[in-house]
Amino acid sequence: MSAALHPARVLRRPSALRRFLSWLRSDLRAAVSLAYLLVLFSLSVFADVLAPHSPIAQSMDMLAPPDAAHWLGTDDLGRDVFSRLIHGAPMTLYASFLAVGVGTLIGLPVGIMAGYLGGWVDGLTGRIIDALLSFPSIVLAIAVTGALGIGLTNSMIAVGIVFSPGLARLIRVQTIVVKNDLYVDAARTFGMSPLRIVWRHILPNAIQPFIVQVTLLLATALLAEASLSFLGLGVQPPQPSWGQMLARSYGYMEISPEQMYAPGLAILFTALAFNALGESMRAVLDPTRRRSD
Amino acid sequence: MNRRQMLLIGSRLLQVVPVVILATVAIFGLLQLVPGDPAAVIAGEYATAERIADIRRMLGLDRPVWEQYVVWLGHAVQGDLSTSLITGQPVLDEVLRRLPNTLLITVLALVLAVVIGVPLGILAATRVDRPTDRIVTTIASLGVAVPNFWLGMILVGFFALGLGWFPTTGAASLTQDPLRALSHAALPALALATGGIAEITRQLRSALIEVLSSQYVRTLHAKGLSNARILWQHGLKNVSLTLLTVVGLVFNRALGATVAIEAVFAIPGTGSLVVASATNKDFPVVQGVVFVLVLIVIGLNLMIDLLYSLLDPRVNRR
Amino acid sequence: MTAPQPLVATRDLGVHFRLSRNTVLKAVDRVSFDVMPGETFGIIGESGSGKTTLGRALVCLEAPSAGQVLHQGRDPYALSRRQLRQHRRNYQVVFQDPNAALDPRMTILRSVREPLDVAATMPRAQRDEVAMQAMERVGLSPEFATRYPHELSGGQKQRVCIARVLTLRPSVIVCDEAVAALDVSIQADILNLLADLQREFGLTYIFITHNLGVVGHISDRVAVMYLGRLVEMGETEAVLARPLHPYTDALLSAEPVALPSHMRTSQRVILSGELPSPVSPPSGCRFRTRCRFAQDLCAAKEPEWSEVEPGHWAACHFAGTLPVSSSPLQGVAEVVA
Repeated sequence: MSAALHPARVLRRPSALRRFLSWLRSDLRAAVSLAYLLVLFSLSVFADVLAPHSPIAQSMDMLAPPDAAHWLGTDDLGRDVFSRLIHGAPMTLYASFLAVGVGTLIGLPVGIMAGYLGGWVDGLTGRIIDALLSFPSIVLAIAVTGALGIGLTNSMIAVGIVFSPGLARLIRVQTIVVKNDLYVDAARTFGMSPLRIVWRHILPNAIQPFIVQVTLLLATALLAEASLSFLGLGVQPPQPSWGQMLARSYGYMEISPEQMYAPGLAILFTALAFNALGESMRAVLDPTRRRSD
Repeated sequence: MNRRQMLLIGSRLLQVVPVVILATVAIFGLLQLVPGDPAAVIAGEYATAERIADIRRMLGLDRPVWEQYVVWLGHAVQGDLSTSLITGQPVLDEVLRRLPNTLLITVLALVLAVVIGVPLGILAATRVDRPTDRIVTTIASLGVAVPNFWLGMILVGFFALGLGWFPTTGAASLTQDPLRALSHAALPALALATGGIAEITRQLRSALIEVLSSQYVRTLHAKGLSNARILWQHGLKNVSLTLLTVVGLVFNRALGATVAIEAVFAIPGTGSLVVASATNKDFPVVQGVVFVLVLIVIGLNLMIDLLYSLLDPRVNRR
Repeated sequence: MTAPQPLVATRDLGVHFRLSRNTVLKAVDRVSFDVMPGETFGIIGESGSGKTTLGRALVCLEAPSAGQVLHQGRDPYALSRRQLRQHRRNYQVVFQDPNAALDPRMTILRSVREPLDVAATMPRAQRDEVAMQAMERVGLSPEFATRYPHELSGGQKQRVCIARVLTLRPSVIVCDEAVAALDVSIQADILNLLADLQREFGLTYIFITHNLGVVGHISDRVAVMYLGRLVEMGETEAVLARPLHPYTDALLSAEPVALPSHMRTSQRVILSGELPSPVSPPSGCRFRTRCRFAQDLCAAKEPEWSEVEPGHWAACHFAGTLPVSSSPLQGVAEVVA
């Protein structure tokens, strides 16, 4: 076999990177959301450097209005609101990704297993999923957090557990659709083991709606973290968290409104960004859907 | 009601039973999640060994797990949800005392969501891709992304503290003083409704668009039926089932989301109860609240499911 | 000298699907036949006859609900799961829809190479070589290697599927309507390719189709299926020239042009009525509701599957005695639906 016919020498498709960039160029919403999230991510990484003050250093200058030294003023313990806002970003991102990660870790294998194996496994899993989905989510998250012990990590694990039934159901449906495709049958005739079939064929083809949902869930996780921290079950003081900042600021709403608006807007924009990214991804990854979103 | 419909109802009821049982297993299992010795955790840091042993006996933690479950379930079915570790009061009483406040704002929020969401959805669907639609869609996107307790705080700032139209905190009994109860519930319900409004608007819009652009409707247009008539007779009838499902979904979410709203408005409801008891490790109360809420959700979903299958001719075929 | 052993055989094979608590669909019902090494065995039937299910059962994609599938005299389901996975590589299938048979997310080279990847007995470079050779053998130039299925035409995709199967050097290939979805002009190319490969590699084919012309062209022996049962089987020449079963007769008269001239008949037999529901087939002989020779006996008793002439089997109470169109006994007026 001559070397000239070797696959490496023949035509190549445009690389993944180039396809990604052209997608961004065509979808403004995706580009803006992604840019915002990248900024947020950088803020998180460089929080210590970028924040003008320490987020936990208290001072006597309490509830001061915004000025040159404190761009958003200070809170009731004299801490710089702006710095706390910046330091809240890594907490937020960590929380969202942790919750979604736990949800995926539990939901993905369970859903694939139920979808691929069918039979009583599927039936039982379906019932369990139904049962868990009849819990009002935040209440369940609170209950699990109470059991595990309050704190950011535990509460986000709880949220992840709450996410997992919905995710399992989603991937299960996709698995069932893909499992009946002919190329899966072909793989069986080649003697491929079920595990390998799942890994090589089912997962890559079933994962797209899952990825979209996961992105959207980042927004939900974010809001959940905000609620839980607001209630004192999430991030514990003195660590700053946007939800927690909202809780503190409520009492001083009339005196120092910027304390209340800044974290709230931060939550809103970040949730919007995750949602927008998810919706854009859905348009790309699922072209069969009718254009009605 | 004919025989087949009764069979349908019966089979649905039967299907719910395993779900309820699994839910109770999950609720009971919450206690098992506690790392370490639950009795010690409950007793607290400064407890004596005696106190821990007391608690263990009181909660029946010295028995094998499955036995604990059966005992717990047996009590629960009879209405005995154990007593609070903090107050010593029966859990069920406390929950039932607070439940009306929570249900009031939840139901009110649901009503608001439908009353506002449905017209918005129709508006957007009938003016697809035009400015009106874009505005509505944007509002819906915002509604999904906004933290509702934050919105609650802002509402308090404007309408309660600023304009004085509504009280800022607390709740009143609906049966005894309905007007006051409603004025207390108005702002919380509004804050709670935002997510629901957004969800209903979106789902209704998308379902309606699909129906309105179908072949069937296009032939109706060609026959000369007016837009309004098409919308009412065919459009809405077809999406009413979708609407029903979404309403169920919104209720589930709202019931959970009251937690933060109750904190903002200082409403003595089940949400604040579960938060307090979770913080204080008062597990019987936590389990009790979750149990009652789950039953409510399952009950509502069952009703919706039944309504759905009685109304939808296709589902009936089974 | 001992008779050669069939490569693939079925013994009273049944494949049943439970549709609901009360209804069972017997897609394949008590089917028995042998396929000898090196031959091309055709299976003809309308859609709904169960031929695709039969094809899938032959390569272990559907487990038998009754009876057996035998590979070289042995029951593959008697093997352990791991042994079966190894064993079944010798019995391959080319599907009707080449589009659905290829993973849309894999390049052509990866798809063709996949059977080798599963065995993992060769280093990657060598597997690539073998895959490229297979592609070349089926007439695909090397530039296709990095393309994706959606960039190829139907005929090209089917060649990819054939190349993929070829890498395993199987003994048996089941072609399930392998050319039905392709343009007529391409069909001949693919059929010729398949014939070449058979000569070169000594393959045994089981060719499932509804197209009599195709089957007449390439099969050594042929079996006719109706509603899950075999109704006739024998040498192609014999079955097509002197059909014993009225159903075969009707099929033949519907496609006269496709047959060689000496097999054509001047009289048309038109099948009356609709295909009965496979879930509740007619009592007695299944074909009786559309058979112009149906008698009371046909409703009362199921016909036996018997060797009416040497090597020529049929399931009809009156096989061999009916005045079918192509037989020397002419003179029966046709029945119009």
